[in-house]
Amino acid sequence: MTVAFETTTRLAPARPRRRSIVPDFLLPYGMIGPAVFVAFAIAIVPLTYAFWLSLQDWYMLRRPTPTFGGLINYKQLLQDGPLWAAFGRTWIWTIGTVFVELVLALPIALLLNRESAVARAASALILLPWVTPFIVLGFGWRFLLDSDVGPVHAFLHAIGLAGDSSILNDPVGAFAIIIFISGWKGTPFLVIALLAALKSIPEELYEAAEVDGAGPISRFIHVTMPEIWNTAITVGLVLGILAFYSFDLPWIMTKGGPQDATTLVGIAMYKAVFLDLRPAYAAAISIVMLVLLFIASLFVLKLRRRT
Amino acid sequence: MRHRSAIREVSLDLVTIVVLFLLLVPILWVFVASVRPETDITGGGLLPTRFTFDHYAAILAKKPFLIALKNSLIVGIVVAIVTTALAMPAAYALSRFTFGGRNFFALLILGTQMLPSLAVLVPLVVIIRQIGLTNTLTALIFTHLALGMPIAVWMLKGYIDAIPKELEEAALIDGCSRLGALWRIVVPLIRPAIIAVGTFAFVLSWGEYLMALALISKSDVKTLPLALQGLFDPYSFSWGQVMAGGTIIAMPAILLFLIFRRQLVGGLLAGGVKG
Repeated sequence: MTVAFETTTRLAPARPRRRSIVPDFLLPYGMIGPAVFVAFAIAIVPLTYAFWLSLQDWYMLRRPTPTFGGLINYKQLLQDGPLWAAFGRTWIWTIGTVFVELVLALPIALLLNRESAVARAASALILLPWVTPFIVLGFGWRFLLDSDVGPVHAFLHAIGLAGDSSILNDPVGAFAIIIFISGWKGTPFLVIALLAALKSIPEELYEAAEVDGAGPISRFIHVTMPEIWNTAITVGLVLGILAFYSFDLPWIMTKGGPQDATTLVGIAMYKAVFLDLRPAYAAAISIVMLVLLFIASLFVLKLRRRT
Repeated sequence: MRHRSAIREVSLDLVTIVVLFLLLVPILWVFVASVRPETDITGGGLLPTRFTFDHYAAILAKKPFLIALKNSLIVGIVVAIVTTALAMPAAYALSRFTFGGRNFFALLILGTQMLPSLAVLVPLVVIIRQIGLTNTLTALIFTHLALGMPIAVWMLKGYIDAIPKELEEAALIDGCSRLGALWRIVVPLIRPAIIAVGTFAFVLSWGEYLMALALISKSDVKTLPLALQGLFDPYSFSWGQVMAGGTIIAMPAILLFLIFRRQLVGGLLAGGVKG
């Protein structure tokens, strides 16, 4: 008993009588090491390498190995009109996706913020678009929008949004509909986050507002909104970053077409490596993406309320 | 909440059901198309005339699809095991020890969660090409470790934090080593979370498209998402078969998610997960 008492009071250094191969102070490093190694190999090393690569002159059709080229890729990049068009498109895409997500998620989260069995079941099932892989959703939507067999095409045709051929063949229509699909896929995640924020609002705040004579709309604006604002901004930023780095959906659905209408920067970068065989140029694109995204994120974080 | 009438609740429930149906109908349509005859699909009718597994039989008879199924299983299972095996000790170290660089390591692991695959695609592809590992499952497995590991570490840490330290201390007094205590006390207590984390890693790998597309071009190492794309022969393909293949890819993700929802939702919110 006394022995037990002593060891529990002096927690960690229970050194005696324990035969261990590694000294105690090394143990945590040994345990976390492999995971850190993977993180290093998959994040830090590639990012550093991308930076180095972006300074090389490497057009694989001309020479098999990279040579130092300084800022040559960045200079070309500045004059690359189609690439900047792709950047512009990507911002529209990103803002559009997050907009669709906010517009769909807020009312749904309010609707699900109840204790009924239906609401609870629905808040589980609603996550299905989020967990279903892009490859399935992409082909699924191509099917739905197909001009021969797709019921959604039939609907869009009936209301005049699509002609005889699928909306995916129309540059503007394809871009708009894929933005919508991208937002639809991300909506559940925002719903669940907003739901968690809504559920944590203390009931007293509503009661106090009601005592003060606030109606439902005024309660929503003065109680609900401020309480869920930061969640919406933070999760919106996460979803925005994911949207900015979209590749799967527009590639699977339209391969960046028609007429480059859905060519996001991600797709332009992919084409730079695999079609143009210019990995160094692609690396420069990915560095520019990272920098632009970082700056944009700082602005978004400024929108957070101070608590 | 307060004074809400039953009628109001029921009508809100009805609205919920309608909204949920509208959100899920695109996915539902994939499943329905996979079990209805091709003539049904091309006929354009909304209701299936009969129920059939023909499409599944057809794609499971295709050799490339079977090879892809096998490859996806190999990659997914290895990724699940390795992710869990790496995440468990890391989570334990973060939860139980204070050591120099602890916060830095935690940030590094969690930071990779926020890094989309596309951001590291170009350098990873070049590196993997230079060490001659393109068209190998090894390279794919390695890149897939990044998908689930950060969230695995984070979730497991949360669960370990909740276990009272006294339990392990008792084991240490009884002569258990630190790792022995981890294995005999902690692991059994959080087994459901460990299984959830492993399945999660499996599911993320199972549906992963971009890395597979960039690293794999030979048909004997293709995974399911690439094989599904292969079914899309522009001249003669069957929508039913494509949808059946899609269902095979979507099902594990959906089922495992519904089973482990309770464990996963918290982790999803904490980490912001890659889609």
